[in-house]
Amino acid sequence: MQEEIIRLFELEHPDIKVVREIGPHSSTAFHDLLTQKLKNRSEDVDVFLMDVIWPPEFGAAGWAMPLDELFPPSERAKFLEGTVLANTYRGKIYGVPLFIDSGMLFYRIDLLRKYGVTPPETWQEMVTQAEIIVSGEAKEGSELYGFSGQFKQYEGLVCNMMEYILSNGGEILDKETGRPGLSGKASIGAVDFVRKHIIGKTAPVGVLTYQEPESLDLFIQGKAVFHRNWPYAWQVSNDPERSRIAGTVGIARLPHFPGGRSYATLGGWQAGVSSHSKNSKAAWEFVKFLTGEKAQKIFALKGGRPPTRKALYEDEEILESYPHFGDMKEVFITAYPRPVTPLYPAVSNILQRYFSTAISSADIRLENKAREASKEIDKIIEMGK
Amino acid sequence: MRFSAAAREKVFVAALLTPGLLFVVTFAFYPILYSVYLSLHRIVLGIPSLGRPFTGIDNYLRLLEDRVALHSLINTLLFVFTTTGFEILCGLIIAILINRSFKGRGIARAAILVPWAIPTVVSSQMWRFIFNDKYGLLNYIFYGNDTHAYTAWLAHPATAFAAIVIADVWKTSSFAGLIILAGLQVIPDELYRAARIDGASPWQQFRRITLPLIKPAILIALLFRTVDAFRVFDLVFVMTQGGPADSTNVLQFYGYKKIFTEGLMGYGSTISVFVFIISLVVSLLYIRVVGTRLFREK
Repeated sequence: MQEEIIRLFELEHPDIKVVREIGPHSSTAFHDLLTQKLKNRSEDVDVFLMDVIWPPEFGAAGWAMPLDELFPPSERAKFLEGTVLANTYRGKIYGVPLFIDSGMLFYRIDLLRKYGVTPPETWQEMVTQAEIIVSGEAKEGSELYGFSGQFKQYEGLVCNMMEYILSNGGEILDKETGRPGLSGKASIGAVDFVRKHIIGKTAPVGVLTYQEPESLDLFIQGKAVFHRNWPYAWQVSNDPERSRIAGTVGIARLPHFPGGRSYATLGGWQAGVSSHSKNSKAAWEFVKFLTGEKAQKIFALKGGRPPTRKALYEDEEILESYPHFGDMKEVFITAYPRPVTPLYPAVSNILQRYFSTAISSADIRLENKAREASKEIDKIIEMGK
Repeated sequence: MRFSAAAREKVFVAALLTPGLLFVVTFAFYPILYSVYLSLHRIVLGIPSLGRPFTGIDNYLRLLEDRVALHSLINTLLFVFTTTGFEILCGLIIAILINRSFKGRGIARAAILVPWAIPTVVSSQMWRFIFNDKYGLLNYIFYGNDTHAYTAWLAHPATAFAAIVIADVWKTSSFAGLIILAGLQVIPDELYRAARIDGASPWQQFRRITLPLIKPAILIALLFRTVDAFRVFDLVFVMTQGGPADSTNVLQFYGYKKIFTEGLMGYGSTISVFVFIISLVVSLLYIRVVGTRLFREK
């Protein structure tokens, strides 16, 4: 797919040759490798992909070239708003959105129908529905769990926990003051809910070791009723060669707490140009092509990657192949970015430690741990000022 | 111009030594000194406007107050003590076994070294699968087809920690065994023959002859294993990423996160230097003990 796009690009621009380098699968590992190169002012990187949380860091560190003139507001308006925001730091734009990702709820249409329930609106509803379905199926001898998600101590844990906290009206960092909001009642309540009702209850305790592949595995083996993942999971779970539940998978917005509203963590990838690139003109041509309608359509049709350009959600060919993209757009519009700071990786590591500690044990005093984590985050933010 | 023979020899010696010395300086001394240099500065990659101000021992003072660093230091020490202990014990057993002559000893000796020859990243991945909560071999051995009883070993702080210890012991016991085997092989047979004539039981022979004579070898194995265990990183990186609840976070992994993920070059280097100092002190201590012992024997 990527090769195809590169070939098309080279056909259109015979004077530019693109050399593709493949990095590690894990976003964190890829980050560490790429930043190592950029830090050393390596000239062999012209164009790079950035995870949604990197642009502030890459911009502040001077690794990513500001694209304000090349990528004017009139062009930006053609993209989903959240994805443009994620590429903006202190008024400058450092990347062009390529794919969008956001957390969503996958469920088993067949099981929900069998037990006469509709996709849950609230987390509590999800827990109750899962209980009914799991105990009902257990009588018939099938091994089934209620839910699977990503709760290992890593970046994905922050994404998952954020969805519980925000959908309870809590927050990670206060929007106005920028201070951590972990100690707030709503945040504590959401974390407490996860450790009391999700880990080891609705979801197997093993989710504490799961990243995306392991959690998806449980779901496509037909062993989970509900599943939280990124859009790519739709493709995989409906592939009859890999999945036992192909054709019975539905998607919905993530549940929320009573009185809150549904939130989905924003993910996705952006294309940026290195400040040290000697071929920045050619690099920009490629970025423009890569994020253009033609390339995004290929990514959508062949790879099932949700595009960032609004217009493609009305494209008949795409909607015909992927009718669920229509529903996904709803989710994408509400997708919420993780804290925007160039020191995000440091903040994230504190959050990962806090969340993992909080949900691994049922008797730890959350208030104390939340206060400790908040203090550490404060220190980091202070450093960034 | 002519040089005296002595001067010529000096030049020759210097010429022979230079490449080796250069190698050590470039790849050992320079990085160490540079880490020390970095550790005395405040460098945050995400904020280049900060420059790299010299902050003296600030980073070290911060390290003393760092709750997470303390926690990972305790984890590291715990890891070092348990793994080296078990590894020496298993190594001793392995060495004694493969020192006996039996059919297929050559193959057995080679086979025992296999775990040690496998790259740690690969063996860690293997252990991660073994401990898996849904299809792990360990669960299958314990519970067979009763999948409901399957335990998520890596999901509980205590068992996750035990898991990385087991993986390390499995991997490096044979290395300890190899060193101890070398010690065993230099014990002259006459000693045992004499002991047998005097009516010593096998246990007495082991306690009074074998053990005292292989002590230097054991100490060397201990030295290698301790210093190596302090640097544990890849096991944690592959198997747990420091979780759950930070229970398997060790110093080197913490330092890695600081430098490579968070971009705190200065503070991360401080952690590395700290690990280096601990390893150095431990090595010096062992070398003193081993050195005097060997000296006394001569």
